[in-house]
Amino acid sequence: MSTPPPPINQPSSSPTPFSFPPEYSFPPFFTRQTNLTTHHAQLIKWASLVLSYCRYHRIFKLSLSGNGTTTTSERDTTELFFNRKINRRLSLPDIREVIDFLRKDNRAEYVTSSSSFSSTNTSATGMDGTPAAAGGGGGGDIVWIYWRTPEEWAALVESWVDATGQRGSVLTVYELVEGDGTRGTEFHGLDQELLLKALNVLVKRGKAQVFGQEDSLGVKFF
Amino acid sequence: MSRKGVGLAAFDRSRLTSAQYASHGSNLRSSNAAALETQLAVFRSLLQQFAQTHAKDIRSNPTFRAQFARMCAAIGVDPLASSSSSQSSSNAGGSIWAQLLGRSVNDFYFELAVRVVEVCGETRGENGGLIELRKVRERIMRGRMEGASEITEDDILRAVGTLKPLGSAYSIIKVGSKPYIRSVPKELNTDQSAVLEAAQVLGYVSVSMLMANLGWMRARAQTALEDLVGEGMLWVDKQSDEWEYWSPSFMLENYDATGTAG
Repeated sequence: MSTPPPPINQPSSSPTPFSFPPEYSFPPFFTRQTNLTTHHAQLIKWASLVLSYCRYHRIFKLSLSGNGTTTTSERDTTELFFNRKINRRLSLPDIREVIDFLRKDNRAEYVTSSSSFSSTNTSATGMDGTPAAAGGGGGGDIVWIYWRTPEEWAALVESWVDATGQRGSVLTVYELVEGDGTRGTEFHGLDQELLLKALNVLVKRGKAQVFGQEDSLGVKFF
Repeated sequence: MSRKGVGLAAFDRSRLTSAQYASHGSNLRSSNAAALETQLAVFRSLLQQFAQTHAKDIRSNPTFRAQFARMCAAIGVDPLASSSSSQSSSNAGGSIWAQLLGRSVNDFYFELAVRVVEVCGETRGENGGLIELRKVRERIMRGRMEGASEITEDDILRAVGTLKPLGSAYSIIKVGSKPYIRSVPKELNTDQSAVLEAAQVLGYVSVSMLMANLGWMRARAQTALEDLVGEGMLWVDKQSDEWEYWSPSFMLENYDATGTAG
């Protein structure tokens, strides 16, 4: 009933930094390749880099202009598309191409502006000062990166519900994300909005029912 | 010993002698063949004995394996070549190594060849089907489990050799001093080879570098570079003062540098 307190668990900043793949220090990797085959290989590499980077830092929503938003922390993700060591940067149009590549694979989705859960701090200008509000092909600045798709998250939640024998019981969404019961599961600390997407998958299958208001959403599993 | 007969008996005699010559010849031939066969059998059994006593070494020790292969080559035995068509011996055919070692060494190379094909296929998009032999080895080694026996470039060369019956798609070419595996049926012209060789030094080349170092005209340098980009064998970096054309094999070089540092 009360608004959830600010999450206190620390961002999962492991001592070892993310190890970038070899191509990250390869200067042409940051230039759109003209040869079609090469370009395709380049896109594949970028796509897998974005996914593994976000998976590593548990980034669910990525700001293309540089500020990634996890549920718990604002992380500066400029480094993902900008290698300071070799001073090479992937341009925004090229980034969008990577995102589109991921979208075709259902591994990314532009966040629609109507979202009410996302933290308000989505500064629209990155380090490079590029205006991020480029319209056109449905391209906002914030993108869901599905290193797990909602379906995959749904499966995780469902198997946890099974394993803990909570079919038929009612849980709050807050409990699922922040509660002690889910500590240690992968979806602990999951972005709430993403969790709702996952729950909706279950709802569609008739496996769950979501009710309540924004602040006190509950879910019942069947 | 006087004049050769004029009579009918002369025909008989010549028939007789030629028959004797023939039988004697066949005797000689068979005894020769028998002698050769014994020699071969002795050699075979010795080779077999050697291979069997050292089978473990051959499989696990790359230097030893290379030496053994070289020894076989020196005495004119291609250990990998199938000998099933000729000399149908008691064994059901297969290469000598297969017969000697119960297929394991032979399989070693075939399995390696499969890995080579996989690596070439995986990386073809990024390198246009031309990959340094050393890179192939590195990638294969990285994919192997801990404790797996080491493989050498020599092994890979031999493995690529086993692919020959499949056509000319896989072959070894030299660029500069370094061996490359080419997995697309395409010939490089001399300018292209020169550019690739130059790119080995720093990892990249540019038009002005080619003009300065090879004494080429701008158009010639430009054409060679664009051709190679068109083949997917070079990557462009447009974020430098002058466009730089990078050899994709440097993607792994950097990996090694940062990998050991970090």
